[in-house]
Amino acid sequence: MVAVAAVALAVGFLVAGQVKAQLLTPSNQVARYQALVRSVQELEATNAESRRQIASLRAQIDGLESDAAGRSAATQALQNQVADLRAHAGLTAMHGPGVEVDLASGIPGPAAGAQASYLVNYQDVQDIVNLLFAQGAEGVAVNGRRLTPLTAYSGSEGQVVIDQGPPQSSPIKVFAVGDRNRMVAALNDASALPDIRARQVQFQLHLTFFGSPDVALPAYDSSLQIPHVNSI
Amino acid sequence: MSTRYRAAPRGRSTGRAIGVWLIALLVALVATVQIRSQAEVERSLVGIDTTSLAFLIDDLHRANDSLQSEAADLQARETTLRSGTSGAADQVLTDEATRLRAIEGLVPVHGPGVVIVIDANGLTALDLQDAINNLASGGAEATAVNDHRVVTGVAIDQTGSGVAIDGVVVAPPWTISTIGDANRIREVADLMTNALKADRRVRQATYRVESDVVIQSVVSARPFVYAVGS
Repeated sequence: MVAVAAVALAVGFLVAGQVKAQLLTPSNQVARYQALVRSVQELEATNAESRRQIASLRAQIDGLESDAAGRSAATQALQNQVADLRAHAGLTAMHGPGVEVDLASGIPGPAAGAQASYLVNYQDVQDIVNLLFAQGAEGVAVNGRRLTPLTAYSGSEGQVVIDQGPPQSSPIKVFAVGDRNRMVAALNDASALPDIRARQVQFQLHLTFFGSPDVALPAYDSSLQIPHVNSI
Repeated sequence: MSTRYRAAPRGRSTGRAIGVWLIALLVALVATVQIRSQAEVERSLVGIDTTSLAFLIDDLHRANDSLQSEAADLQARETTLRSGTSGAADQVLTDEATRLRAIEGLVPVHGPGVVIVIDANGLTALDLQDAINNLASGGAEATAVNDHRVVTGVAIDQTGSGVAIDGVVVAPPWTISTIGDANRIREVADLMTNALKADRRVRQATYRVESDVVIQSVVSARPFVYAVGS
């Protein structure tokens, strides 16, 4: 019995060692990669802290404005206007009927020219969000990040960067508040999202969606500055 | 006797079996942990290459600078509000309303920027969406296409008659006016127009930097029908 156990132990370590050897990349490549990853992690931590600070400051400002509005009817009227503008800019949390869209990367294909096509990219997210807004979405959030009138998407293979947020990757969840029947119908339209649908077939990209009676969206927690724009 | 004789070996056998199973379990556990941890590292290596990571670091630096600038601006506003001086809240709220109206495209705006002209046959709504997103990502703070204001949320659709912005068809040539950091937008415009010139559908793609781009078009305010503040 002891001999059997010893053999099993040896086999286990051999199997693990073999798999490890097959997966291992050159050590210098790993070291360089790890250094870059550490930089990204540090920058992401700073990013998260700044966003927490911004959310906290906005809450404090809101409280101070409310105090001032309580002392003046004119200030109250101004605050109401600003509250409506902030809601439309995505600066306040909202909820209502809507949809949830789930998008996840598929399986790599054999073709060398389409190496990253199985991955969810920022243009997929952009296409889904544009479709939802075109169907009357009143607010949208992607993986908990609220979109604003100035939202821009970027990223490289498998990474989705929205505004000043940290990179997101598959799976991606898009939440939208609005006419859920209209949004679901548009998502069901076979002619919509042609690139994603083609990759669903080719790479098993995952796309599902469903309507919900109540979808909650957080407030935007990043920068919304336009230093070069002046109103006429 | 025979009972005792059979009982003793059964106890030793059970103990040995448990020992073997425990060792086998340990082996499986060690192997699984080893394989999974290594595979986890490998998966992240496959997910993003070093060049992409370098770009990501650059983006994060810029994003963090922008966030710190926003935080400084908010701190200044908070300080003004806490000062309690007469009219301080009204001034902060008025400034905020003016800024948000510009952000939401509700008022005409002007400022430094870049104007891009694209004359093409067959470009689609997706092409225009990509162009506008690239410019926004590259620093555009206000945008209009053929005098139609565009912000996130304004529908850019493909129709039988061509590309429509907010339900109105915009025939080529497209004149995309942007306001923002002209140096950053110029870099994006340069890359974009060079890429477009290689597209057979495109007859002309040019850009010019201007010290004062004027965008007169505005977006109509749309009250919420479904959304409720939390």
